[in-house]
Amino acid sequence: MSSTDIAGEIRAYVAAEFLAGEDTADLTGDYDLIDSGVIDSLGLVRLLSHVTHVYQLPVDEIEFGPDNFRTVDAIVALVEDHRPAAV
Amino acid sequence: MPSSRLAETVAAHGDSHPHRIALHYNDEAVSYGRLCDLTRRLRTGLTRLDLPAGSTVCVPAHKTPGTVALLLAVLQEGHTALAPSPDLGSAALDRLAGQARVSHLLTATEDGGITAVPVRPEDGAADGFTTPDPGRTGLLLTTSGSTGTPKIVPIEAAGFDAFADWATEEFGLSDRDTALSYAPLNFDLALLDVWTFLRLGAAVVLVDRQRATDAAHLAGLAARHRVTFVQGVPMMYRLLLEHGDSFGTVRHVVFTGEQMPGELLGRVAPAFPRAAFHNVFGCTETNDSFIHRVDPDLGGPLPIGRPIRGTEALVLDADGVPLASAGTGELLVSTPFQTTGYLRRDLNDAVFTQVGDRIFYRTGDIVTRTAEGLHHLEGRADWHVKVRGVRTNLQEVENVIAAHPDVTEAVVVSLPDPQAGVRLHAQVTSRPGSGLTSLRLRTHLGRHLPRHAIPGSVHLTAVSLPRTSTGKPDRNLIKQNCLKESDA
Repeated sequence: MSSTDIAGEIRAYVAAEFLAGEDTADLTGDYDLIDSGVIDSLGLVRLLSHVTHVYQLPVDEIEFGPDNFRTVDAIVALVEDHRPAAV
Repeated sequence: MPSSRLAETVAAHGDSHPHRIALHYNDEAVSYGRLCDLTRRLRTGLTRLDLPAGSTVCVPAHKTPGTVALLLAVLQEGHTALAPSPDLGSAALDRLAGQARVSHLLTATEDGGITAVPVRPEDGAADGFTTPDPGRTGLLLTTSGSTGTPKIVPIEAAGFDAFADWATEEFGLSDRDTALSYAPLNFDLALLDVWTFLRLGAAVVLVDRQRATDAAHLAGLAARHRVTFVQGVPMMYRLLLEHGDSFGTVRHVVFTGEQMPGELLGRVAPAFPRAAFHNVFGCTETNDSFIHRVDPDLGGPLPIGRPIRGTEALVLDADGVPLASAGTGELLVSTPFQTTGYLRRDLNDAVFTQVGDRIFYRTGDIVTRTAEGLHHLEGRADWHVKVRGVRTNLQEVENVIAAHPDVTEAVVVSLPDPQAGVRLHAQVTSRPGSGLTSLRLRTHLGRHLPRHAIPGSVHLTAVSLPRTSTGKPDRNLIKQNCLKESDA
């Protein structure tokens, strides 16, 4: 999966899970999802569970803080940094 | 209106100044002479009903000259009128009529007659309800009834007299004034902009409820009749200003009913170049209790100010102890105008409470009192919700949303959430053509609100929010619609 695909999947997940029924046309890769309240602390848990599951990331190695999940770009970077090399 | 004294005063205006205009209604101008003729004819109709002295009748409060005359006729005959919203469903109307021991449902016909429908209450309909005392009250109003059946509030005749005296002095009113009466006739605001004005022999422009949201019509009425006194909710000012008119004859502008948005306040001042601005706070149970002289240039949010003459206010802290000085807590007021209690007796203990030698009404509103003695409304006591354990004021969130330049209005409701317990939902009307998106609005919220207070869902629309009969955003309906959606 290329990073474009990952970005597309994560963006779609965020839009469906956290912005249901809202216009997401202007959800850019650098939009701050944390300060804008799109993803709250419960949302962080769900998002972490989603990316670790879909991309088979080693949960223990991921630093669970808002900064890693602040933007779609940051989440994509996090996924890429932690993906098992073989996938 | 609440008394036969008022009806007699109005009748005296009919004798002394028969040609002076009492009511403007659409294209019709009703002089005091004609109003009194109409009232006399309706009295004749009333006497034919052979009502026992001091009966209670129900007069649905249509905002028409005929209804005004019918209410005056009922008062002159020494009866008491229950005047509920004309939009009330028949089941709710029957219930209210039963509770107030109403004998007949009365309406004024176009040709000056009366239709009278006898009321046959179910057995026990009035159990637990005080019988209205025609010696003390001529008028029974109801609270808005957004939750269940409206509560019946007797308006004391002596209380109305004291209120009309206060308003006349406070606003320097005379028989040369003309009021734009926007609120429904069943609303306590009519005690000022209809009944106090008629007591003075002044003129009242009755805004036809069917055309109450027609901006051009409303602005036309204000200009054509050279109104000097305007009182209403923010929506009325929004409508008056929609076409950029200016109202140079208005001497007093009264904001009431809900918080004036800052954006609107800035536009109101230039539209009323000769007016003094007032923020007035009150409710059906006590009538007006606070007033604040507004300097629109200072912007919002507006304080409700200080207790009006003769009113005492207590601010109770979390332990129910009155604050000695500055602080935040629940507001209790005691006014010279207040009711002696709801007809339904078991409601009274919870909201009317004696402190010292006065009876106070628990407003259910949270206020902050400053060191200078100014009071600021913080919202309803029941508008504080806990989101993730953090006390959150829905109105504060609404105000932050409404402060965005591309937002016209906003309502925030709390919804049950299986995970978080409670989540906030914002329903927002954006300025046409602004291109505002919910994400951009969220960025704005992130700058001005703590994280927990940012609504979990933000729905933008281009259409106005649904409204109650009194012109306020219908929060209950918005909430119900959300609940239905999440059930679906």
